[in-house]
Amino acid sequence: MEILQVVLLAVATFVFAIDQFSLTEVLYRPIIACTIIGAILGDLKAGLVIGGEVEIIAIGQMPVGGAQPPNFVMFSVVACVLVIKTGLDIETAVAPSLVFALFGQYVVTLVFTVASGLMDKADEAAHNANPKGITNVLNIHMAILGTLFTVIAIVCFYGGQALSEPMKNLSTQFSWLTAGLSVSGTMLRFVGFGILMKIMMAGDLWGILLAGFACAAIFGASSVSSATLIYVAFIGVAIAVYDYMSSVKLKNSAGSNVGGMSDGI
Amino acid sequence: MASNYVLPENYKDLTPAAPLDKKTLNKMVWRSLQLQACFNYERMQSAGWLWGILPGLEKIHTNKDDLAASMTHNMDFLNTHPYLVTFVMGVVLSMEQNKSPIQTIRSVRISIAAPLGGIGDALFWYTFMPIVAGVTAGLAQDGNILGPILYFVLAFGVQMALRFWLMYWSYGMGTAAITSLTKNAKEFTHAASMMGIFVVGALIYNMGTGVQFGMEFASDASTTLGQEGGEAVGLTTNVQAQLDKILPGVVPLAMTLMCYYLLAKKGWTPIKTICLLLVIGIVGCIFGIWANGAYNALVPVPWHA
Repeated sequence: MEILQVVLLAVATFVFAIDQFSLTEVLYRPIIACTIIGAILGDLKAGLVIGGEVEIIAIGQMPVGGAQPPNFVMFSVVACVLVIKTGLDIETAVAPSLVFALFGQYVVTLVFTVASGLMDKADEAAHNANPKGITNVLNIHMAILGTLFTVIAIVCFYGGQALSEPMKNLSTQFSWLTAGLSVSGTMLRFVGFGILMKIMMAGDLWGILLAGFACAAIFGASSVSSATLIYVAFIGVAIAVYDYMSSVKLKNSAGSNVGGMSDGI
Repeated sequence: MASNYVLPENYKDLTPAAPLDKKTLNKMVWRSLQLQACFNYERMQSAGWLWGILPGLEKIHTNKDDLAASMTHNMDFLNTHPYLVTFVMGVVLSMEQNKSPIQTIRSVRISIAAPLGGIGDALFWYTFMPIVAGVTAGLAQDGNILGPILYFVLAFGVQMALRFWLMYWSYGMGTAAITSLTKNAKEFTHAASMMGIFVVGALIYNMGTGVQFGMEFASDASTTLGQEGGEAVGLTTNVQAQLDKILPGVVPLAMTLMCYYLLAKKGWTPIKTICLLLVIGIVGCIFGIWANGAYNALVPVPWHA
């Protein structure tokens, strides 16, 4: 039974590790990956809840321009092992999982650095008009990435089980520590929001930020609270389309004035 | 031998190739998913890009030397948004088909790939995905399997629809597609940011209100009115309840603004900011400041039972 779990976990991790950059680029997202890992480890329900929690933390933590955020495949695997096998609360498991997510980030950085060496092979294949050579280069890269992640996941699986007893003692003796980890786990999403603001914020958008905040508060207290974000998205689309249309119109009319065209007013 | 390769200025066979058939175009759309399969810091997506358009290049360049030249210059550095890459593919393939000068193809490719990267990040990574995540994560947290299923259908469905549409559109229009895409790019990015910021504002309230103060000040029984019958009625002042009367959600709002300030104005890395939050969480619980069910504060304080 246990060996079956390990094998399935290894296969799933191998696929997720590759999927985070190619394949579907969706399966690896915590909400899906945690659900699948949860099912493998024997607790689908827990996997779902962990997935929802980790997905929120992952908002805003996207790979941009080759810069790597904490690795959420590693995060998902470790969080599921810690909750289902070790028996931690989800919120408490977030902080230790983050340590592994940072480790996963370094693994990815390492692979991306080493893979520069593959470029010579790819060039040679290109000079010889050899499509097979390009396919090989891609396969080597994916195999390295998948294998490294799989090995780490298996280590986590056994380590997480061994930690089960000491962790239980720790959480009763130092309840302030587990509570603190749990509170900071819930706070991590603010970093993601902060990153999103850093990228998109402009002087004229502060009012928009508060308007979104207010909308969520109003919908959240109403009878349609379960659809809060969908309704917020509707309003957001309306604002964005209006902004786009009016600034394009403004630009075009400014252009035609320069061209000496008169609109008759 | 490899290093001695000299890239020609033009293809040997300059007669335009026959237009690519639907089957090849579809195949390349599916292959475009592997854009980052050989990602590296030297040339980023180059090998994945070349692999994606190979079926088309093999159809276009029947001359082996031309295929080698085309494959070689398509190994150039490339970095663009994965969801929008088929737009670049369409334009480049139409130029390859017309046997444009190699340098022209190279410069057009890099000049559209880079801006598309920025637009794609703003549109998908920072606006679309957070909305999808926000809607579906709530379902998953309630233990509803629809959460991950809906996430997959939306995220994968939208990107595949885009990949197909962009491939056919830009291949059909060729380089003319570039102007119609980049003409209003600035306005488009601003509008997308506007929607993104609006959604971030909503997420702060919708997902942040779980962070609450746990401090409760017991009023001194002798000075309160609650003394009737000789028994002190437990009159307490809950800090969070008071805050919720004034401005619900003020804690997540303040903490997000703090993170924004540190990240954007102080140049902190995300990791450093995360470490600060860990300290705030743990130190806060040492002094019994945060609410988190029943726990024992390390330091005995009057406001934490």
